[in-house]
Amino acid sequence: MARIELTEIQKSWGPIIGVRDVNIEIADEEFVVFLGPSGCGKTTTMRMIAGLEDPSEGRIVMDGEVMNDIDARDRDVAMVFQGYALYPNMTIYENIRFPLRMRGVPRDQHEGKVRRAAELVELTDYLDRKPGALSGGQRQRAALARAIVRQPQVFLMDEPLSNLDAKLRQAMRVQIKHIQRELKITTVYVTHDQIEAMTLADRIVIMDKGAIQQIGTPDQIYNDPANTFVAGFIGSPPMNLVEGALEGGTFRAPGIEVGNLPTRHSGAVTLGVRPEDCTVAGMSSHLSGTVYGVEPTGDITYLTLKAGEKLVEVKADRDYRAPLNKPETVAFDPSRIHLFDTATGQRLS
Amino acid sequence: MASQRKRSKGESLTLRYLILGGWALFCLAPVLWFLSIGLRPRIEIITPQPIYIPSFSLDAWHMIWDDWPMAAYLRNSVAAIIGSVIIDLVLAIPAAYSLARFRYRGRDDIGFYILSTRMMAPAIVAVPIFFLFRNLGLLDTIWALMLIYAAINLSFVTWIIRSYMLDIPKELEDAAKTDGAGEIRILWEIIIPAVLPGIITASVIAMIFAINEFLFTLLIASTPDAYTMSVALSNFTGGSDGVIYNAIALVAFLAFVPVFLVVVAIQKHLSRGLTMGAVKG
Repeated sequence: MARIELTEIQKSWGPIIGVRDVNIEIADEEFVVFLGPSGCGKTTTMRMIAGLEDPSEGRIVMDGEVMNDIDARDRDVAMVFQGYALYPNMTIYENIRFPLRMRGVPRDQHEGKVRRAAELVELTDYLDRKPGALSGGQRQRAALARAIVRQPQVFLMDEPLSNLDAKLRQAMRVQIKHIQRELKITTVYVTHDQIEAMTLADRIVIMDKGAIQQIGTPDQIYNDPANTFVAGFIGSPPMNLVEGALEGGTFRAPGIEVGNLPTRHSGAVTLGVRPEDCTVAGMSSHLSGTVYGVEPTGDITYLTLKAGEKLVEVKADRDYRAPLNKPETVAFDPSRIHLFDTATGQRLS
Repeated sequence: MASQRKRSKGESLTLRYLILGGWALFCLAPVLWFLSIGLRPRIEIITPQPIYIPSFSLDAWHMIWDDWPMAAYLRNSVAAIIGSVIIDLVLAIPAAYSLARFRYRGRDDIGFYILSTRMMAPAIVAVPIFFLFRNLGLLDTIWALMLIYAAINLSFVTWIIRSYMLDIPKELEDAAKTDGAGEIRILWEIIIPAVLPGIITASVIAMIFAINEFLFTLLIASTPDAYTMSVALSNFTGGSDGVIYNAIALVAFLAFVPVFLVVVAIQKHLSRGLTMGAVKG
């Protein structure tokens, strides 16, 4: 059970800066997900928490103790890797037992602890097999068991589900969340999959280009994105972002006009609205364009409209159908319109 | 449809056996021919027309065991080779681990230097090595042979093991570190078992090179205390008896047997070792 504080963390390799100005406090028993595109610095940040990389600057503190100069093997963290990293020459039993042996846990406790960890991930029938004889999902569960066997202070998980197929991924997601809640262990989880982040996290840390873009609960991240990067990264399909001009509380872009905005800003502004916050042929229309594409998926139909040169995606009724180039109007939910400064990308209050 | 596929599969299997059998025979023929030379009377060897079905004779067999200390030669060979491979592994495994995993200044240069020791013609260093071992008082001992064979093979044993180590995912070591293992434990419990096929492959190749080594052995060995099978062969080429081909053939065959037995014993690891690079962990 541990609190983790990262203060002014920076990591650079010569002139290349991998991670900059990372400040975050992770509470005891919290489940924090680092989310971002590949190369955003999320894995590097996690590896610094693990002690596998040294930060170039800044402090890593766990439960009040500075960890910077403490080796990975002396930090009480357990890590689950993307490629499972099971020891191929050992049986699953030996794999799960390995951390106990290395940490000097008394021998007579090994059997019981390994069995309990294996039970938690439902792997008791496979303990005498080698990793090569297991399926991907089983290997992932074995890696999980190896991490939980000695009840560490902190779990670190580096894209643990990305090598699994979609169905298995969902099942494992539920299992990971359940185990974390049951063991009450502070967990840092790295992923580029926003669904994993939204479903697992107490708080999400969104990173891009080595810097934190926003820290918040899944709801905050989704409902109040701090900038255009977060707005465009979270949500599927992503938020529509339209560049235009704001003057006297009215936003204008080709084919789009939204008035009565509760803001005193003016100038070059980007308007953001999620596809599900749009209504086709609303009473008061904000957008008028032509139908560019219609994609029925069964429970919902995605409608893409062309307004000026911009394509705007709308979630329409499941029965909605329209021919190409048909003129169409759309209303936005006024309470769910987001405004960003076009130059900086930052949210306007 | 199904039966047709079955038949074509059967045919391809037969074809495969034919091709592999032919290849095996092709490879084995010289060895068998050699053996047949060793087991025929001397008279039948030096004929203008080859005799394909010779008469059987143990003349050469009796000669090499009764007139020569062949058991000592064989013992020297085996001892020097095993010793040299042990020395190689003790030195090469840590060196390979260092070259494969740690970053430090001049690492690549050191790696290249190790490999470059293999590029020089052995004869260049023959005389200095002779004086070196004379000053060390190791002339005509199998200890000297062990050291020389180890030195000759060290570079490529290091290089082969290193290339296997490069194939081990870095994650495996990171996992061991976070599990609480130190560098030595990681090397011993994770890395060495994972590169075992590579270690075995390198060892077998080193054995083959060592048993064939002639130049330095001739230089160092001057009595049956240090003579090996390869040098023993030269015993049968001079003197008043002329070239004793059947004895040479038989000794060569005997020199081939130890390596052959080793390869058969570890065949499974060897074939795995030679293909491991292709399989992604």
